[in-house]
Amino acid sequence: MEDYKFLFKVVLIGNSGVGKTCLVRRFTQGVFPKGQGATIGVDFMIKTLEVENSAGQREAVKLQIWDTAGQERFRSITQSYYRSAHALILVYDLSCQPTFDALNDWIREIQEYANPKVLKILVGNKTDRDDREIPVRVGEEFAKAHDMYFLETSSKQGENVEKLFYEIAAELIEQARQKGGLSRNHHNSSVTNLGMKNNISSFQSNCCSGGVGTNNNSSN
Amino acid sequence: MDVSSLIGIGDAEDLETPEGIKRLCQRINEREKQVNDNLQTLLSRKLNLETKIDSCLIKYQQLYKASICEDSKKLTSIISHTSDLAEKVSAKVRNLDTARMRATEVQKRVHDLIDLQLCSQGVMTAIKDEDYEIGARHVKRYLSMDRNILEKTADDVSSMTSVNQAVDTLEKAAKEMREIVKVKLDEAIKKNDLASVERFFKIFPQLGMYDEGIAKFTSYVCTKLSSIAEKELRQSMEIAKAEKRTQVAYADTFTNLLENVLRIIETNQPILENYYRYGHLLKMVKILQLECDDQTRRLIQEFNKNRLINRKVNQINDYIKSQSTQSSSTLGHLRKASGSMDKLNSKDLDTLIAELTIMHSRAELYVKFIRRRVSNDIEKCFIAGDMTEEEKKTALDSMESVIKKSQLSNQMQEILSTYLLFERYFMEESVIKAIGFDSHETGQLYSSMVDDVFFIVRKCIRRSIGTQSVDGVCAVINNGGACIEQELINAFRNALKSGYHSGYIDLAQAYSAFQSTIQQGKIQTNDSEMARTKFTVTLNNADKSTEYIETLFQNISEEIKVSFPNIDSHKKEMIESCLGGLKSVGDSLKTVVESGMQQLRSSAIKPRINPWIDQFQSSNHMLTDDELSVYEAGETFIQFLIVQLDGLLNSFKKVLSEKNYDILVLMLATDVTARFERAIKKCAFDRNGGLVLDKEVRSLGTFLTGATSWTVRDKMARLTQIAIILNLEKISELSEYYDTRNQEGPFTAWRLTPNEIRNILKLRTDFKIEDIKKLQL
Repeated sequence: MEDYKFLFKVVLIGNSGVGKTCLVRRFTQGVFPKGQGATIGVDFMIKTLEVENSAGQREAVKLQIWDTAGQERFRSITQSYYRSAHALILVYDLSCQPTFDALNDWIREIQEYANPKVLKILVGNKTDRDDREIPVRVGEEFAKAHDMYFLETSSKQGENVEKLFYEIAAELIEQARQKGGLSRNHHNSSVTNLGMKNNISSFQSNCCSGGVGTNNNSSN
Repeated sequence: MDVSSLIGIGDAEDLETPEGIKRLCQRINEREKQVNDNLQTLLSRKLNLETKIDSCLIKYQQLYKASICEDSKKLTSIISHTSDLAEKVSAKVRNLDTARMRATEVQKRVHDLIDLQLCSQGVMTAIKDEDYEIGARHVKRYLSMDRNILEKTADDVSSMTSVNQAVDTLEKAAKEMREIVKVKLDEAIKKNDLASVERFFKIFPQLGMYDEGIAKFTSYVCTKLSSIAEKELRQSMEIAKAEKRTQVAYADTFTNLLENVLRIIETNQPILENYYRYGHLLKMVKILQLECDDQTRRLIQEFNKNRLINRKVNQINDYIKSQSTQSSSTLGHLRKASGSMDKLNSKDLDTLIAELTIMHSRAELYVKFIRRRVSNDIEKCFIAGDMTEEEKKTALDSMESVIKKSQLSNQMQEILSTYLLFERYFMEESVIKAIGFDSHETGQLYSSMVDDVFFIVRKCIRRSIGTQSVDGVCAVINNGGACIEQELINAFRNALKSGYHSGYIDLAQAYSAFQSTIQQGKIQTNDSEMARTKFTVTLNNADKSTEYIETLFQNISEEIKVSFPNIDSHKKEMIESCLGGLKSVGDSLKTVVESGMQQLRSSAIKPRINPWIDQFQSSNHMLTDDELSVYEAGETFIQFLIVQLDGLLNSFKKVLSEKNYDILVLMLATDVTARFERAIKKCAFDRNGGLVLDKEVRSLGTFLTGATSWTVRDKMARLTQIAIILNLEKISELSEYYDTRNQEGPFTAWRLTPNEIRNILKLRTDFKIEDIKKLQL
């Protein structure tokens, strides 16, 4: 067995077709699989990362990433994975309004099945698309209202994918360390963006270059 | 050499006389001359030798050049000669080969021509005689000929027209045959004449109509399948009633349906392989699957309708929804309080869940069969060389896609989804019921709920193995863990939350009441007694649950290994991860036990033992020898303490599980020793006092060691060491027990710091402060 100090379960959820499997593939195998069929039930991948902790040491973290099927008929399978998850990644397609509208249903699922202390991350996927329908601000606000971290990614171009998982690993290590102390505090703080402020600026530069994004920003 | 020896020989007396020197000089001169002569002769010989060497060299070089050049030239000519020969031979061989090839080609052409003639004559008569097998054989022979060569032959041969005529006839015949066979097959199908259908089905591949043959035949078989299935579906209830299997009526019908399809494959595969060769099974399966999908859809529709599946699903979903809005305020296991809902009885679901399990497992078996058969067929085709690696991969992918996209797979997923919902509901409701109906018989360490809850969870997980679906098993394992954690552990937490009410406010009163209960030998059943029993039983239940979780984990792991022998490592890892999640529930259980034991400690141990030990301070530890013997004759402090502790422990020994009792003893040992240490530090001792203390500490150690199977020596270490120090005759004796260099004693590691040692020594009034200060520690 390989040597690792932490093992975390990360579960991806969200509507069918928002790109959960591609996110996982991009991260674990470094590829963007074209013509990916719908996931059946659940699948899982393992990746061991090295993350620098707050003391500046590098630590091996094993992430067990559960990729769930988005289709309704697999819900009773996927629901069973919420409880043991350390982090839940809720994904929507930023070029597809219905996937964003469904978030409320997903939030209800999380409330019902997941551990209330679970780390929650909202991910707007497909920043590479130029037919964006959900402005960054809207995603951010939703995340803030539901006590979640927020990030926009592109599995196709690999943008923010590594960052997403590395930040999750770092945050989970931090939580594990604070366990016993009140790690809840951290959750309730106003910081809802992974990697703090510089992150937000990077989002905005991204969507400005997208053309459509500029419109979205000014409309806000 | 010669010179030096000459000097050496020369006498010392000689050198003192001029004659001597002269003689020596003369001798040297003679010798020099001699040497010069020698040199001369040698030098003269040198020239001669050099010329000889030179001549030798020249001769050698001449010789060398001559022979090598000659040899290599010879060799080259031999080689080139050989190669010429070889080329000539190989050219001849090549010529021979082409000649032979041409000969066979010609032979083949001649054969083809002869056959062409024969076929063209035969085929027409065959058609006329309706002997389609022979006709088809002729056409097949014709089709096997290379059309281009045939045309070339026609050009070469003088009787061009006859060849062209034959080709034309055969072309026409083939076309005619194809038409006829199609019509005949259609007719046979219409007439439902199985023998004729098979007859023409076998002719199709000879005419090159592989796909058409398979399509027509399979759709014929499908119509037969369809009518059988329809009949079976209509009669499913009646048949089930007759066989007293109404509870699994649809599972039975579904099993028949799938078996019928598989039987078709089973019986027709040999024909297919014989007449169509390998690699065609997938085409048949593709068409059959459509029929199977259609029938499955109809059957599931009927099943859903008659078993009221949708209504039940909605009922459960509504119920869960109503619970989740409530559960934010109330606790999990109190949810049965809401009785207003039109709630499903979990027991009624039991049989339905069993039926769903059977249905899903049958479908899994069916898919496995199809996958194995088709991939074997493809593999055989590949081995026979009729398929490239690339084609094989596409064929296998195409098979997977047929399976994945089939309605059957879709329906299976629906069935699994329904199954999981029902199973979860069944498990949760049954567990809640088991907890609600918890019963405890007086005198028992455990109550019924643990056995019941684990029985239910285990039953559900085992049933999920019956679905043959890895996803299903994983989900039920996950749900099982969640259920234990949410329902059972919450129930434990709630029971422990109220704490262990020792029920006494005044400690003195508590003591006497406690004594009386012990004397009566029977615990009175009043409210606070019941609360206490509930507390200890819960602790024991939690302890037992940690064992049960471990057993459950092991049993299920084993059963899965047996039931899924051939799953790939990825799926195996998935299952292992889920099982790991189940096992980790044990950690939550352990924290429950631990927090409960801590409660017990703070409410039932600490307040009780403190006053007992504090009595130590009130007795005198400065004893004259007379006082010492008087003290030892009466009831000593330690005798009193041990009686009390024994009484306290005995009252728990009867009501705690073995492991919990051991934990209690350890906690008691920790508290007693700590408190004792504190009491000691508040007293002053002389030599006799120290002696008594040492004895007392020893008997306490013996008592505690005897109380548990676990080791308490560690807990006693500090106290024992304090007693050793206080029992010293002189300060200097300390060095026998305490090694200043590594701060270790000869027997055990010292737990006391040098500072502490000094302070303890100070408790001895007969030790001088200066001596203690002087100690090198």
